[in-house]
Amino acid sequence: MPDLTANSAPTGEITVLFFGSLALKRGQRKLTVAAEAELTLRQLVSQLGGAQWHSFLLAVNQEQTNDLDRLLHANDEVAMMPPFSGG
Amino acid sequence: MGGATVRTQEEDFSIEEEVDALRAVSRRIGGIVTFLGCARDFSEGRDVSAIAFEQYASMAETAMEGLRAEALETFDIIEVRIIHRITTVNAGEQIVLIVVGAEHRASAFDACRWIIDTLKQRVPIWKRETTPDGKIWESQHP
Repeated sequence: MPDLTANSAPTGEITVLFFGSLALKRGQRKLTVAAEAELTLRQLVSQLGGAQWHSFLLAVNQEQTNDLDRLLHANDEVAMMPPFSGG
Repeated sequence: MGGATVRTQEEDFSIEEEVDALRAVSRRIGGIVTFLGCARDFSEGRDVSAIAFEQYASMAETAMEGLRAEALETFDIIEVRIIHRITTVNAGEQIVLIVVGAEHRASAFDACRWIIDTLKQRVPIWKRETTPDGKIWESQHP
């Protein structure tokens, strides 16, 4: 009986959210990307054109982070955010 | 009366109701400090007629709960309420309210100042101002 689970491609997706001026710049608020193995936050930001953003903050699963080497996994929610301006 | 201790909402809030709700928590409270943030009609050299707020709701709620918890742990205070409106407000209208109750005034002043300063750094809320030049996202707030 072959093991159908072995060597299967990574399943699942990462949700990416954009807020404020970044959503305007991107022309979208939300997208999903495939959860590839060994995908880091840095790679994701780069793929989405982060080099062109003036300044931004990142959160993974609703927690702010500066760790660009962080590995992303299926079902993670990544937020790309301009500096906050509440209050 | 007053709703949850920490929340975002579209509708306006009543300062009196929030202060009453805080006072109901303990008779040990001897001093209450409030901070009320309102929409200015002028910003960065431009007239502003309205401000629209957007939030990352799930993270904003967690961050605001965290602010309350940290303030209660750090300062000698008894209770905290934080309410932030997420909607479009016209110039002059209320945006954010922080109410802090303590036995003595000094801690209440210190905590209230710390909460509003830290809210601006940690809570994912953004404002877009309506000006004669159009609608402009404010990317950084002093």
